[in-house]
Order: sequence, then C-alpha cells, then structure tokens
Amino acid sequence: MSAPILIPNREAEVEQRSQVLAEEQHEADRPWVTVVWNDPVNLMSYVTHVLMKVFGYPKPKATELMMDVHTKGKAIVSSGPRERMEGDTATLHGYGLWATIQRDS
Amino acid sequence: MKAKRKGAVLRVDLQGAEPSVLTTLFDDFAVLLASEDAEDPALARLYPAGYTDDEPASQEYRDMVMSDLRDERGARLQLCRAEVAVGGGRIELDDEAADRWIKVLNDLRLTLGTRLGVTEDSELDPREETTTLYHWLSSVQDLLVTHLMA
Repeated sequence: MSAPILIPNREAEVEQRSQVLAEEQHEADRPWVTVVWNDPVNLMSYVTHVLMKVFGYPKPKATELMMDVHTKGKAIVSSGPRERMEGDTATLHGYGLWATIQRDS
Repeated sequence: MKAKRKGAVLRVDLQGAEPSVLTTLFDDFAVLLASEDAEDPALARLYPAGYTDDEPASQEYRDMVMSDLRDERGARLQLCRAEVAVGGGRIELDDEAADRWIKVLNDLRLTLGTRLGVTEDSELDPREETTTLYHWLSSVQDLLVTHLMA
C-alpha cells in the first residue's frame, strides 16, 4: 500500500525536525579555528617566534606550523570557541601575521 | 646595527646614519597610520579581514578590534622612536621591549613590501632605495628575532 498523499505524515516530519536540530547542534559544537596564511613578507624566523610567544608552543611545534604555512600556504594554529579565536586572530594581526577565523571543517 | 645579549637585556648599537634613517621611517609611518586611508593597500595589509568569506562577520570583528590595534600600533611606534632619539644610537631592550621592536620593524617591512609589490618570487631592483631599506629592515629584524629565540 502506498503512503497517503493527502494526510500529513507526522512521523516523517518529527524525524526530519529532529534531524535538523541534530545538525544545528553539531554545527554549534564544531569548534572554530585560527588560520595563518602564507605571505611573501613575513620572515620565517619571525613567524616561528610569534607562534612560540603567542601560543607558548615549543620551538619544534612552532617551526612545523611555520613550515606548513610556508609550503602548504596555510596552517591551523589554534582551535576553540569563536570568541577565543577572534582574540587569537587579533593578537596575530597585532604582530602583522595574516590570520583569519573559520569553522573547523 | 649590532646586537649583543648582556644578561637580561639585548644591547643594540645603531651605527652611522641608522638612527636618522629609522627616525625618518618611524615618522613617515606615523603619518600613514594617522591617514586611516581605507583604500591604501599597506593599511589593508596591516589590518586584515577577520574572515575570508563573511563580510558581516569581518565588519563585526573590525568594530571589535580595530581601535585597540590602532592604538597599540601607534603607541609602540612612539616608544621605539623615543628610544632612538634619547639613546644616541645605543638601545637596551628587555624581552618585552625587543618584542615591541620586532613588531614595529615588521610593520615597516609590511608597508615597504606592499609598496614594492613583493611576491614569493619577485626580484627587487637593487638600485632602488626602498629595496635597500627593505633588505636592511629584514636583516635587523632577523637579528633581533634570532637573539630573542636563543
């Protein structure tokens, strides 16, 4: 027997609604990230120093992130709540790094 | 310029024309910062957008951080300028002051780099005075960063 066309299928509606809610919740839980982009002016030594200073990363980790920026064009340097990422980005902008905020993908 | 660590401070000795070159650059940069010209590519580079693909969010970010970033950038510039003026070429920097100096040097490099149209593989004309300044600022900044990280 085919599903009734004229009578609304409440069950499907409820299911659809809860799916939307779950997606919205997932979207809200997804952390935000701060991305540093490659640029032709900032020195490699300077970028490494800034990452050590701002995030307290040990030199090997800061160097690895800097190399990602340099060779891959960008690197995620921090993640967390949106407000904190905006704070991190502002600090990096103060140092002249090219940084942006985005949702973690 | 020479730099040498003396205990907790970094002693920087500016040589020859270096103090006046720096003072001139600092003063020019102060004029640029005061212009607040939104169309200027150098200022656009100094105050990047917070988001790549979300203009309303970028505007909100700008409203939130712009005045602090501007104030900080102007204040550190004036502190460095004053240190050059009183030191007679010698400046003694603790780690905090050295950090401030490399930020200011970076501001100048970003500005000159934008003016010169520096790209990953651009070859700058060595006869241009701006090129010489740019390379000199790069070497000074690298020297201070190396000392700070050591």
